[in-house]
Amino acid sequence: MADKAVTGKQRVSAPLAAGLSLVLPGLGQIVNGEWQRGLTILLSFIASVGLGVWRVHLLAHLQVGLAAQYRKALYLSPGFIVLLSIGLIVLWLWAVVDAYRRTKVVIGKSTGIYVLIGAIFFVLGWQISEINPPKFFSQLDDAWPAFSQVIWPWQAAFERDRETIQAGAPILVPCDSGPLPDVPTETPGQPYLMADPRCGDLSSLDENNNTVPGSTLHLVGRGFAPNSEVQIWWSDPIGNEFRVRQAGSYVTVTSDAQGAFETDIIMPYRLMPPSASGVQIHQVEAKQIAEVGPLKPSEALLLSLEKMAETIFLGMMATVFGIIMAIPLSFLAARNMMSGSPLLVSIYYLTRTVFNIVRSIEPMIWAIIAVVVVGLGPFAGLIALTLHSVAALGKLYSEAIESIDPGPLEAIEATGATKLQVIMFAVVPQVIPPFVSFSIYRWDINVRMSTIIGMVGGGGIGFLLTQYIHLLDYRSAGIAVWFIAITVATLDFVSSKIRQKYV
Amino acid sequence: MLEVKHLTKVYPDGTVALKDVSFTVEDGAFLVIIGLSGSGKSTLLRCINRLIEPTEGQILWDGEDITAADTTQLRHIRRKIGMVFQHFNLVRRSSVLTNVLAGRLGYVAPWKSVLHRFPARDREMALLALERMGIADQAHKRADELSGGQQQRVGIARALMQEPRIILADEPVASLDPVLAHSILGDLEKLNQEEGITVLCSLHYLDLVQRYSTHVIGLRKGEIVYTGSREDIRRMSDDEFKRIYGETAQRVGGGLEGSVGG
Ligand SMILES: Nc1ncnc2c1ncn2[C@@H]1O[C@H](COP(=O)(O)OP(=O)(O)OP(=O)(O)O)[C@@H](O)[C@H]1O
Ligand SMILES: [Mg+2]
Repeated sequence: MADKAVTGKQRVSAPLAAGLSLVLPGLGQIVNGEWQRGLTILLSFIASVGLGVWRVHLLAHLQVGLAAQYRKALYLSPGFIVLLSIGLIVLWLWAVVDAYRRTKVVIGKSTGIYVLIGAIFFVLGWQISEINPPKFFSQLDDAWPAFSQVIWPWQAAFERDRETIQAGAPILVPCDSGPLPDVPTETPGQPYLMADPRCGDLSSLDENNNTVPGSTLHLVGRGFAPNSEVQIWWSDPIGNEFRVRQAGSYVTVTSDAQGAFETDIIMPYRLMPPSASGVQIHQVEAKQIAEVGPLKPSEALLLSLEKMAETIFLGMMATVFGIIMAIPLSFLAARNMMSGSPLLVSIYYLTRTVFNIVRSIEPMIWAIIAVVVVGLGPFAGLIALTLHSVAALGKLYSEAIESIDPGPLEAIEATGATKLQVIMFAVVPQVIPPFVSFSIYRWDINVRMSTIIGMVGGGGIGFLLTQYIHLLDYRSAGIAVWFIAITVATLDFVSSKIRQKYV
Repeated sequence: MLEVKHLTKVYPDGTVALKDVSFTVEDGAFLVIIGLSGSGKSTLLRCINRLIEPTEGQILWDGEDITAADTTQLRHIRRKIGMVFQHFNLVRRSSVLTNVLAGRLGYVAPWKSVLHRFPARDREMALLALERMGIADQAHKRADELSGGQQQRVGIARALMQEPRIILADEPVASLDPVLAHSILGDLEKLNQEEGITVLCSLHYLDLVQRYSTHVIGLRKGEIVYTGSREDIRRMSDDEFKRIYGETAQRVGGGLEGSVGG
């Protein structure tokens, strides 16, 4: 909007123009004949005042009355309010001075006022988009663990089979309700657990909700894997099985070099309904989860691989279908193929319009619509990407057709060839290189798009990625992200090489 | 016999390219059309096979009205009229042979030719045509690998495949050097004399016109301003030629000191 005029217009007297702009910024300029400049100032002023009031209201919506809201907003967000207020006041005054000066015969280039308007909108934009740089750093610490897992997720790429080693000992509850259970017999080499005593009372709450601790059991275990963690579990007669907690954390013991351990536990709370009474045999258990066997790819790795393949093929199929449909349609959208009758010309305009509309809607949105129609899964993504590809390729193809050399066209026409023959002999050979180039480019885009189309349920790795993120499984998410990055980079490289070679 | 009667062409933008043009071409004639750039030579030649739709007037070929023909009739007329262009108008990325075979498109079954399948007879014919033009060894090259003169010979070979009774040549030598110009026009003359193919050709250079034409018409701003026989044009001096043609007339071999022609 740079104004190049260096001579002003004298339509009205300077004081009148200035006065009018004092009433309404820009009015003086409009009356003086510079309606573009005046209107720009006026509309910018109104818009920024309006936006300012809106933001003040949002900041201080609990206050009643504009003045109270303004004071509260000034308190909450002083930088924004001060800058905006100064900007608006300066703009107003500037508009007055500007209106005065524009009526003079010789004036300088005055684009400063537009710079000021730009600055005011920048201040508004900063506040409206809630830009908050300190947040970026203050929350980095919290984000770092997750982030580091995403950056280097490969610990989760491989795992070993797990095997549970366990042994249990029966406990009679309460002690006087019946005969003590037998001491489990020990087989050398097998895990073995012994509890002493073999009966006791569970923890409970008295009528004042105070804890009454249960009996203490002394556990002795043998035959476990050496130097590794042993978890203590409890299982009651109706099948509840849970890890024993003590002082808020799970009880774990580490076995010694012989695979033996000893520890004391307090018997846990009852999980059984109070009505259950009589003789109860509970079981205390020691469990070890040991990794055995060779390293093998983890579930996340395999699933990511699987979904990546799905993604690549999704992109490929969408490209193939896109090409197949775009080729015939592109001829309908090429001006030089559709001249002649009004019918052809209207088909041309119709095709072009449809292309433009379909193309302007993002594949993600098509995917959302397709999911409604065909349900979740790769097919929805395929439909979305195909639709968008047809429109995008159709436009590119038709432009390639429009830019062919018309010479061969008239030469073939002059031989008495039919329209189809003209297309096959004069048009097709000329458009093959651009068609190939555009198609590869589209394949590239489609694979890229198919990596995220899953986020809205369109199949592919995007779906897996969102799931992992929602489950806070950042390592697995990281694996998916890495696969996407590797695939996209590879494809980028390959497609540029092919295009170089072909065109 | 080709009769052009009161032919007028007005382009959609209002340009009057041809204004009430009438003339007759006997079978076997070598008619040369001369005229300044923009005088309507290309328009006239393209009206004859209706690459450009005439606005008014008639073109009768042995009594048949070309301007009244429907699509199918027009295709049958067109395949008997070969056309040669200043810029050769070959399909640059296709092979020479394919370009030549394209001349048969008006004769073969459309659905077969679409897949680039031609009868063996047509392939032989194409090779023969190339041989006749002296470029049989180039048959399998890409068209744009050939020199300008060779490309124009491919253009003529393509026209020959139509077994034409008329050849329209729109400045066929304007993008070639003088030696090549003579050799290409020599080829056209041979076809004209040996096969009796009528040639309608637009040319720029007086010496070429004098050397090859049997009849001449001169166009200026879409109107015929000169009609002459072989003898008339042979007797014509440079000054007369300039008068019809305009100030920029020149000879391909030099001799007329004018500036570069259009
Ligand atoms: N498609 C078109 N639309 C509008 N005017 C055109 C069109 N084609 C040609 N003309 C005009 O018609 C007139 C005759 O053009 P034409 O091409 O027939 O002349 P020419 O004698 O072949 O010229 P040159 O020697 O430069 O080839 C010119 O004024 C030209 O500008
Ligand atoms: Mg021309």
